[in-house]
Amino acid sequence: MKPFTYILPRSLPEAATAAARKGAQLKAAGIDLIDRMKERIETPSEVVNLLSLKGELSYIKSERDSGLRIGALTTLNDLELDAALGAAQFGALREAAGRTATPLVRNRATIVGNLLQVTRCWYLRSAAFGCLHGKKGPACLAMTGENRYHSVMGYFDCVRVHPSNLAPALLALDAEFTSQLGDRQSRRKLSELFPKEARAMLAEHTLLPGEIVTAIHVPAQPANARSAYRESREKLSFDWATTACAARIVVEGGKIRTATLVLGAVAPVPMPMPEAAKLLIGEAPSDELFQKVANAAYQSAVPLSQNVYKVQVGKAVVRETLHAITR
Amino acid sequence: MIDPGKVLATFCINGEEQACAFVSHRTLLEVLREDLQLTGTKHGCELGECGACTVQINGVPVLSCLMLAVDAIGQQIRTVEGLADGPALHPLQDAFADLGAAQCGYCTPGLLMTAEALIARDPCPSREAIKQGLAGNLCRCTGYLKIFEAVELAAARMRGENPVPKRETIYGS
Ligand SMILES: Cc1cc2nc3c(=O)[nH]c(=O)nc-3n(C[C@H](O)[C@H](O)[C@H](O)COP(=O)(O)OP(=O)(O)OC[C@H]3O[C@@H](n4cnc5c(N)ncnc54)[C@H](O)[C@@H]3O)c2cc1C
Ligand code: FES
Ligand code: FES
Repeated sequence: MKPFTYILPRSLPEAATAAARKGAQLKAAGIDLIDRMKERIETPSEVVNLLSLKGELSYIKSERDSGLRIGALTTLNDLELDAALGAAQFGALREAAGRTATPLVRNRATIVGNLLQVTRCWYLRSAAFGCLHGKKGPACLAMTGENRYHSVMGYFDCVRVHPSNLAPALLALDAEFTSQLGDRQSRRKLSELFPKEARAMLAEHTLLPGEIVTAIHVPAQPANARSAYRESREKLSFDWATTACAARIVVEGGKIRTATLVLGAVAPVPMPMPEAAKLLIGEAPSDELFQKVANAAYQSAVPLSQNVYKVQVGKAVVRETLHAITR
Repeated sequence: MIDPGKVLATFCINGEEQACAFVSHRTLLEVLREDLQLTGTKHGCELGECGACTVQINGVPVLSCLMLAVDAIGQQIRTVEGLADGPALHPLQDAFADLGAAQCGYCTPGLLMTAEALIARDPCPSREAIKQGLAGNLCRCTGYLKIFEAVELAAARMRGENPVPKRETIYGS
């Protein structure tokens, strides 16, 4: 790692001021950031340690309307085990947190660090390669290179994959986030945290330099809502997903009344699939219906030379998710 | 604020205060092994993918390779060197030795620290809970079965029971 000045802010405004300085980088647990700094693909001159604000930013609170407010520094382990997430409506978030990485990672990894982690694309994460995404190379090397874990949809000039488990789960639950930029606070839809068109030159997220996410809000869910998260991966533990799906559904009188469906690990951003979800409305749950929805979700897929499997596997994961909710 | 370069800090390691001068951008793993000569904690992948570097911070097992040493100042750090009580091995260490749950031994310190925290939380863990709890520690030698059995044996002994390991656990089937 390249040496840096370590900033231990005593308050959120102090952190925001420090984070706005040129060359500064925010750090939560550092599981993603330290890895990139060791590889020297990130060489900040100042590291602002948000963990100094752990007392203020680590909590899971039930709101009066039965939604949840989750502090930015809450660990994945807390999400998995907290009783407030025990309800069937929050199943997607609990399952996504519990399936991430390993217990040793989840003991420290934070919810916002998970959402803002940088792609696992091996070209981007190696100092030996210069690619179009972030590192001033001439082209996306995965587009024509080793691309079995890369995107099958939603890409333009870079086929990186958004690696976060929590992103599809939180999007399926209509989550929002609060951020602090200088002395300004704002609350926005979580979907606005990710770029609309995932171009190579854009970051994984839309935060401005120095902007700190302080909380994630999971609003009150529709009555009788249930949600789930499922994924495919190569190993039982340690692995990032090869495809993922999160969904939230309300069934009343044997018919599906509302539905959200979000794919993960198949595009440079998490992919809400409103058109596919619409096919569920007014129908009774059945495998035939879920197959139709899975086909629709992957209709726009254009796989690369090594990842055709993702389409087949991804569809199975969509079906599994929908069955898990409606069982 | 901590400037780049050497810092002097006091760590609380295995119940003792230890002053240490180290370079501020080092990981906890590097400081433990190279500045404090506590080489029981192993250096594996450095990527969070093996668990060889596991130590406990305030009783919680974490990866020291992806943690800055400066973040451990003021916390209770426990390493494998702190498991034995003088010459008396910890029951987990005894059980690992009795059942042959260590072969090359490289994964063992990390596994012991994860297992110790697991038993502290759940004195009577099921086989499934042990598998889940140890899912972040890779072992390339044993095939894990003896490790699971050793954790069960240690937990039983710590509860005051004295089970006799099955014949095939010791001699194979
Ligand atoms: C072996 C292994 C397996 C893994 N498997 C999975 C997996 O299957 N699925 C998955 O989703 N993840 C997986 N991960 C990734 C892991 O979940 C993330 O690395 C972790 O959650 C990052 O959290 P952190 O607190 O360490 O973030 P940090 O590394 O501290 O930060 C990550 C990024 O977010 C920024 N940041 C953090 N907090 C804030 C904030 N509050 N405001 C603004 N910016 C902020 C930082 O500037 C940094 O750029 C795995 C990691 C490892 C090591
Ligand atoms: S060395 Fe830390 S997980 Fe492998
Ligand atoms: S005993 Fe060799 S890696 Fe576990």
